[in-house]
Amino acid sequence: MREPLQWRESSRQTGQWQPDFEALVDEHQSMVFSLAWRMTGDRGLAEELAQDVLLELDRSLGKMKSADHVRFWLRQVTMHRSADALRRRRANAASLGTDLWEELEERHVLVEPFEMDEDSPLGRRIEELLAGLPESQRAALVLRYQEDMTPEEIAVTTKAPVATVKSHLQRGLKLLRIRAGQTLKEYVRGA
Amino acid sequence: MEHNEKDLAEFERKLRLALQHREAPLGLKQRVLAQSRSRARERKLAQHGHRWVVQRIAASVVLAAIFGGLAAYRQVEERRKGEQAREQVLTALRITNRTLDRVNARLAENGR
Repeated sequence: MREPLQWRESSRQTGQWQPDFEALVDEHQSMVFSLAWRMTGDRGLAEELAQDVLLELDRSLGKMKSADHVRFWLRQVTMHRSADALRRRRANAASLGTDLWEELEERHVLVEPFEMDEDSPLGRRIEELLAGLPESQRAALVLRYQEDMTPEEIAVTTKAPVATVKSHLQRGLKLLRIRAGQTLKEYVRGA
Repeated sequence: MEHNEKDLAEFERKLRLALQHREAPLGLKQRVLAQSRSRARERKLAQHGHRWVVQRIAASVVLAAIFGGLAAYRQVEERRKGEQAREQVLTALRITNRTLDRVNARLAENGR
């Protein structure tokens, strides 16, 4: 991945990377927000998480060594914060006696589908189906296909063994394909 | 087998397309930057406040040192002046003593 021009220029001039917080927010806000949304399935919560993560970056800016370091840090912190938020929500749901996955499903139905291919029912449903996967598989798939990360990079980000990540990817992909296939059949039957 | 692999590749392509970055909500950047600026201001104020306290303590220490020094100087000076006066009195007494001795000696000579 390439670094934005202004960072490369400032690094070249001073020999040390000098981050510009506003440029970093501009560059990474959609990545942080998308990760949080796809992990939590809740737009409002994702917005809050994205704001918290970016402000945390502001506080930790002095520790950042390069643009790649920032990207890695943001992905890691967003994934951890999202997992924490899900855990908290699960605990709240358990204490209230509601089912988290039912709630997530409802939220995702309300979410406006991503306009990638007007004619593809599969594309429209993929995000909703992703929300129904177990958290670890969803995390692996989101990092692999949204962020284009290798299993090794995902392992470092999620602090899990590479073999576990590969297994999550394989199982998640298989499950998603089965569910997507069912959706397609339903669509064909409906048409 | 080959057909299955093609299917998988096609599915992965669609998954990548479906998982493109979503636009960040309007105003997220502004909110983050506003909070960041407000925190920076608070930090600056806190730093300024801290610096002001340090400056006050330093000024108090310097003033205490000046007044303490002055008091000590005055004490030493007074002691020195007292010593000088004592020396002068002793010298005067010695001179008087010597003069009286001489007067006594003459009186003794005349008396004989």
